[in-house]
Amino acid sequence: MLNMSHIARRYGAAVALESADLSVAGGQVMALLGENGAGKSTLVKILAGLETPDAGAIEIDGRRRRFHSPGQAREAGVGYVAQELSIVEHLSAAENVFLGDIRAGWYRSPRRIAKRARPYLDAMGLSHIDALAPAGDLSVGERQLVEIARLLSRSARIAILDEPTAALADAEIHKVENAVRTLVAKGCAVIYVTHRLREVFRLCDRVTVLRSARSFPAVDVASLDVDQLIEKMLGRRLDQMFPERARAIGEDLLVLRQAQGPGLRAPVSLAVRRGEIVGLAGQVGSGANAVLRLICGLASLLSGEMTLGGEALAPGSLRDAIARGVCFCSDDRKRDGIFAGRAVTETLSAPSLSRVSRFGLIDGERERGFAEPLARRFGLDPAHLRRKTGNLSGGNQQKAALGKWVGVDPRVLLVEEPTRGVDVGARAEIYGQLRRLANEGVPVVFASSDTQEVIGLADRFATFYQGRMVRMWNAADATPEAITRDVTHPEAAALAKDA
Amino acid sequence: MSTVSQGARPALLHGKLARRFFWAAAAAAALALAGWTTPAFLTLDNLFVVVRAASTTGVVAIGMSYVTISGNLFALSAGQLSALLGIVYALLVRAGAGAPAACGATLVAAAGAGAAQGYAMTIVRNPIITTIAFGAVFAGIAALISGNGNIRLHNEIATWIGTMRPLRVPIQSWVFVAWALVSAFIVAKTRVGRLLTLSGENRLAAQASGLRVDRAAAFALAMLGVSCAIVAIFSVSQFSQAKADMFSGLDIDCIASVLVGGVALRGGRGSPVQAALGAALIALLQNFLLLRALPSGVRFAIVGALVVAATSGFHLLQRRER
Amino acid sequence: MRKGLAAGALARPALALAVYAIFASSLPNYHTAVGVWALLDGSVLTGLVAVGVGLTMIAGELDLSVASMAALAGVLTMRLIGVGAVPAVAVAVAVVAAALFGAAQGYLISWLRINSLVFTVGTLIGLRGVALVAANETTLTLPLDQLSITDAVDGRLFVFSPLSATMLGAFALAGLFASRTIWGREIYAIGGGRAESRVAGVPQRRPIVVAFAACAAFAALAGGLMSIRSGSASPLSFDAALLEAVAACLIGGVALEGGKGGFFGVLMGLFTLRLVLSGIASLGAPFWAQNLAAGLLLIFVIVVETASAAVGRWRERAGARAAIADRGA
Repeated sequence: MLNMSHIARRYGAAVALESADLSVAGGQVMALLGENGAGKSTLVKILAGLETPDAGAIEIDGRRRRFHSPGQAREAGVGYVAQELSIVEHLSAAENVFLGDIRAGWYRSPRRIAKRARPYLDAMGLSHIDALAPAGDLSVGERQLVEIARLLSRSARIAILDEPTAALADAEIHKVENAVRTLVAKGCAVIYVTHRLREVFRLCDRVTVLRSARSFPAVDVASLDVDQLIEKMLGRRLDQMFPERARAIGEDLLVLRQAQGPGLRAPVSLAVRRGEIVGLAGQVGSGANAVLRLICGLASLLSGEMTLGGEALAPGSLRDAIARGVCFCSDDRKRDGIFAGRAVTETLSAPSLSRVSRFGLIDGERERGFAEPLARRFGLDPAHLRRKTGNLSGGNQQKAALGKWVGVDPRVLLVEEPTRGVDVGARAEIYGQLRRLANEGVPVVFASSDTQEVIGLADRFATFYQGRMVRMWNAADATPEAITRDVTHPEAAALAKDA
Repeated sequence: MSTVSQGARPALLHGKLARRFFWAAAAAAALALAGWTTPAFLTLDNLFVVVRAASTTGVVAIGMSYVTISGNLFALSAGQLSALLGIVYALLVRAGAGAPAACGATLVAAAGAGAAQGYAMTIVRNPIITTIAFGAVFAGIAALISGNGNIRLHNEIATWIGTMRPLRVPIQSWVFVAWALVSAFIVAKTRVGRLLTLSGENRLAAQASGLRVDRAAAFALAMLGVSCAIVAIFSVSQFSQAKADMFSGLDIDCIASVLVGGVALRGGRGSPVQAALGAALIALLQNFLLLRALPSGVRFAIVGALVVAATSGFHLLQRRER
Repeated sequence: MRKGLAAGALARPALALAVYAIFASSLPNYHTAVGVWALLDGSVLTGLVAVGVGLTMIAGELDLSVASMAALAGVLTMRLIGVGAVPAVAVAVAVVAAALFGAAQGYLISWLRINSLVFTVGTLIGLRGVALVAANETTLTLPLDQLSITDAVDGRLFVFSPLSATMLGAFALAGLFASRTIWGREIYAIGGGRAESRVAGVPQRRPIVVAFAACAAFAALAGGLMSIRSGSASPLSFDAALLEAVAACLIGGVALEGGKGGFFGVLMGLFTLRLVLSGIASLGAPFWAQNLAAGLLLIFVIVVETASAAVGRWRERAGARAAIADRGA
């Protein structure tokens, strides 16, 4: 039914897709796999009409189609459920099913809407919810199902589900799987983007793997096993960009004992020693990020304990954590990592205003003397310091976001996704700086969904899956395949028993 | 390292300079045309008249710009606070406190009222509604303690304060210019000014950097309060009377000045000098229209159209810059 | 959660009744039909403006120019009557003209993607100017031979006057529009989640145009009716209208961020506000105290809402802690 061939897309100098093919028949579930940055989201966004391809063709039922807007894709029968849900909380579940649909007429009695939505909600296993209750009352999984019901209500014939189960618990995943089966029974072609191999084997008929902006010919799931699939996903990658591992590891500095908080389903215990870089490997919703947020005070510790240098650590806020020397850099630098409209100097000096001011005035000399060495250290041309931070390339922006913490003389640095959206050259520089920081006695704890990055950068790392820590690894002993297994399809025995 | 020059978009220096030159040229042309059609317009005397007319609105507009730059949009309580402060000052002077002491007390009260609003705004997270409410309360208190009447002063020092003319220029004009320069310095060069702009530019990033964003709001509103106090003290001193409704309509004029001056609504950039220039421009326009003997309604309408045009224009320019 | 919704829906009428009871105990005219008639009649200005402003607030915006629009409509109505138009037609013309202006305003705001606060500051000033020009800088009054027009709106049927009946009709109309038509639902959608609704395919321009057109129309209706009732129109009037209307909406449950709130709630909020204000006036307090009371009431409502949100978050965290403790035990 759907045939995408030779799709290509670049953003400036970055190649998102070089040549990708994807074909799905009606009533079939096609898994779309690939590491972050392999091109998955770009490919589905093109199909959904959110992006236009630089080259290649899309054919639906033999007809060539061009989508210049999401509306056109919707008209052609393409339905897209993105990772970020588009549910309006204050509207009822029934209204969310028909959100944006003007075909339903101008008169909207709540009862009529509820009646019309009922069959779609029931088909998704949501017969127990009150169609008129606000969608904000529903759990994340239930909201996901409402969005899939929306697809059905628009008679979508091609359904794209982007990481539908990333944030869900087992019981809800079950419901989503049933929803997919319902779509299939209605003859939809389903494209299931995921990193959870268990679901691929349980639910999908065929799988297309994307790697390094190219797609591999689709294969039947039945003909594969987990190891073969992982091998396809990873391939061979250069690891010249990673610096040498730690030279000297010291005493325990940051210790978590049975710590639990939002986003974690089982308590986590780990110790970070002076001089080392510890990685937290996991995909979206795995709990890796949740651990970092617990340590830095963004999430509250609900049970267990944390210590820093032997003293109890329980920051109530980011400010408390910074005061203790625990610095946190989130994965979304545009949102809270940089000051896009201000000069790079100001981004770099923001957490260290006391250092660059005297008698309440900002001392220009001191600020320059503070920012320039910092910039140079990270490979930022000092001549660019006066530019607006937002005008730098992604890699340079990330350097600024990280660099500002180095200037604070932290005791521990916590980083989420250290090189998201960063080009290869800048990546190497960032890894080098993180290693240098660790060698200077400041341990670095980072969360990443990039297995190569975790193995290359960390001395030790913990793998996470669905809110639980799977196991601790020495990087020297680990293989990409083993890690990928842990974060996508860990054996039941390896997971901590449900407390 | 090659990554340094890679990817960084070239600075818009050429574009920026060209744009500024264009605006300056357009302004000069407009002034020339106005002067040619209206003889009394382009005279030194008239210039002083304009600056003087702009002083009251201008000083408070400068205070308002602190609030906008800090990312808190506007405070719709400036007029009511000014009236309240004027009454407080008048009552203190009449009670025999002496003009200088009364000034001091008024300024302190102003800063306090401002800071209170600022902290309230951080909790409630909607500046407009919060300040509308505070404004109503200020107006009520003002009417209450003044008995809703006229408070007359008979204090020589106060009168002298309000009618000084150093170098034959009214004190209010001096204060206007000085306050603009001082505020520009504060915003650009002090630590608290940096806190202000960073909080306005990206509140989440400022919090993530450990900055006290609530202090930024409190400071911004305190400075607005001080601006209101300055205007209140000079007005009451000049006219020797205070009334609860003496500054009605000031809010809107100040906001218009800030917008016409091009201070970005989203916060994080701009300078108080822009608000001062906005006030001056509006005063200039009103002066020109007055000289042409146009009725107040037409003047209002034209100023309104100017605000709409200016805000839309700046908004479009800022969008293109991204 | 449905329980919470029902409780919320009852809280507002309960508050209004409580306030009524408090004042009724000390004010005799609150009991009588005439007294209630006067209360309702006195709420017409704020009520009609609140209906319009409420729509823009639900859309996640705010129209600051309502007071100027009401004044302009009043002036326009007087002018039209002065050249011989029937009062009803004069008001109708003003309302239609306002709706067109409001639609244009909404269109520009959504096309430019500019903050409505900023834009309506400009129209607030501009419309005031137009009102001054249209009124020739004076207060317009009805020609002497047509003064009887003011009597027409002075009737009484039980507790309703023609004006308060119109206002209640406006609330009913707005309520039905908001909850039963797709255009109303779109306004809730873009207010409840601008980005989410855009992704889902909800048109972004139409609901804003509709909300601002309706807002201007209701403000004009208020201004026109008020001018007929008093027999005069001043281009500088109604400057407290915005504060009172916004207060009525907030007390009535319209959320500051948009997407939430119903017109029955706004009606209750209106009654609560007006009961307090006229109660204070009847108790002999000076005129300016009403403004103070409105401000304090607004602060009170904001504090209560912020506090209950904080309590909700605290409860959530306590619940999560308990859940973990249970699992561990």
